[in-house]
Amino acid sequence: MKALLCLAALMSMIASFSVQATDSIVVVANTQDKSLNLNRQEVRNLFMGGVLPYELTAVALPPSNQTRVIFNTKVVGLTESRIQSYWAQMRFSGRKKPPREINNETLLIEYLKSHPGAVAYLPADTDIPEQLTVLFEIR
Amino acid sequence: MIIQEKNISRNIIISGLISLTLFCFSDVYAEQDDKLQFSGFARVVMGHLDDENAEYIGYGNAISFDQQTLLGLQADFQITDSLSVTGQVIGHTGTHRESGLEWLYLSYSPSKSLQFKIGRQRTPFFNYSDIIDVGFAYPWITTPQQVYSSFFFSSFDGVMASYEFAGKEFIMNFEGYWGSFDGNIYVANDEVDAKVNDLRGIISNLSYQNWTFRASYHQTDAMVSGGIRLAELSLFGAQLRQLGFTQSADSLCLDGLSEFYQISVNYENLNYFILTEFTQVTAEFLIAPKMDSYFVSAGYNFYPFTSYISVANNRSEYGQPATDIPIGVAPELDALAFGYQAIFGQLSLDSSTAVTLGTRWDWKSNIAFKAEVTFIEGDSNDRAFFNIKDTQNFDREATLYQLAMEWVF
Repeated sequence: MKALLCLAALMSMIASFSVQATDSIVVVANTQDKSLNLNRQEVRNLFMGGVLPYELTAVALPPSNQTRVIFNTKVVGLTESRIQSYWAQMRFSGRKKPPREINNETLLIEYLKSHPGAVAYLPADTDIPEQLTVLFEIR
Repeated sequence: MIIQEKNISRNIIISGLISLTLFCFSDVYAEQDDKLQFSGFARVVMGHLDDENAEYIGYGNAISFDQQTLLGLQADFQITDSLSVTGQVIGHTGTHRESGLEWLYLSYSPSKSLQFKIGRQRTPFFNYSDIIDVGFAYPWITTPQQVYSSFFFSSFDGVMASYEFAGKEFIMNFEGYWGSFDGNIYVANDEVDAKVNDLRGIISNLSYQNWTFRASYHQTDAMVSGGIRLAELSLFGAQLRQLGFTQSADSLCLDGLSEFYQISVNYENLNYFILTEFTQVTAEFLIAPKMDSYFVSAGYNFYPFTSYISVANNRSEYGQPATDIPIGVAPELDALAFGYQAIFGQLSLDSSTAVTLGTRWDWKSNIAFKAEVTFIEGDSNDRAFFNIKDTQNFDREATLYQLAMEWVF
């Protein structure tokens, strides 16, 4: 039992280390347009509820998720608290609603595959299924 | 007795809202996918003013919880892909705010860029006007009073159109609205009845990298009435008019054009933010002064905390009294002129400066705690947003201490 606990602890340490190690992000979409590329500002706008001239719908990970923290830091450039207060302002003034949140990366990939137009951020070392297109990458 | 009744009805509204919240809560996650979505916000705000001779935004020397504490609930119902209905009710504890329906509108979005709303909406005068009750959405406990206390009506009935477009590096947004308001507002601490027609405004927003800019212009024809003071004023005005002193009579009018100008420039990144807003409000009618206001806030983020310093200032002035009543001709006319001048002498001015220091702690992604100290200094003879109890002994300086819990769900 003790050994099992130690192993679990070790595994979670390795897991958290590997997340720390790959703080590169890719933004992938379920889109027909395989040549589509976005810049950082466009990705930021997309995930902050702004309009873009493409049929894309942002899907996010929950606030505590490490990939989301990296995305906030590298792409949005705002803290999680500020993003939450931004969404409170948008929602309660009837302007915009935050992206749908999917619990974890595995479920998120499944969601992307089954929803045309859905776009999400994932760790750069994720195996991206062939039907999804990488729109943006930041190291 | 009346106050008691008011309190009881307020308590009923609030307890009703709480039970509705609990009821909604049980289903809220299950209904994420459904067309009906419930959400809400609540804040508990405690305040204490270190001075016995005055009150500031309702806070006196005793510790009180019942000025800004509130609960709001919102329901969004998606009828079709482009059509939805939104309603928001707020239960206020504050004596200057009425509980009830703040938003109820039908929204039509023919495309992602274009949105039309028809119904009851919050008046979007300044940057935070339409979410002033959602404390979670801004860093302070109290939005800078020097900017946000001008004679306001929180909602209007009408139409709003908004259009947004994006370039590679920016997003731009325009909003225009038109409507009316009929209800009670507070002018210099007096409750008056306001009839507002042809309320209209245009707002533009620009986001570029970490910068956001907002500029807006609003105008309205407002008429205020009610209360003994205003009744006496209009009676006196009518007398002056009968006697042929039209300039003096005109200067006491209680209706006319009001204009609001606003510019704000904000910069924020992971580590710090700077928020600024500059406003000017002018009104053609007597009891509303011309107000020039601004605030500048700078903050530093050290997640999960944010500390900030804020400076807010406003200058207010009234129009000059007319001089068509001759002085030194007859004692009756002198008395009339004196009475007329006295009215201008009694108008309360609000010129003041406030410095605020505070910290926000984001405990959970939807719950934040805040602590804030505000040092207020008014011009020596001005009201300076204080409700002054002892004019002789009050030096127009006081410190407001506040604690708050902000919650969104």
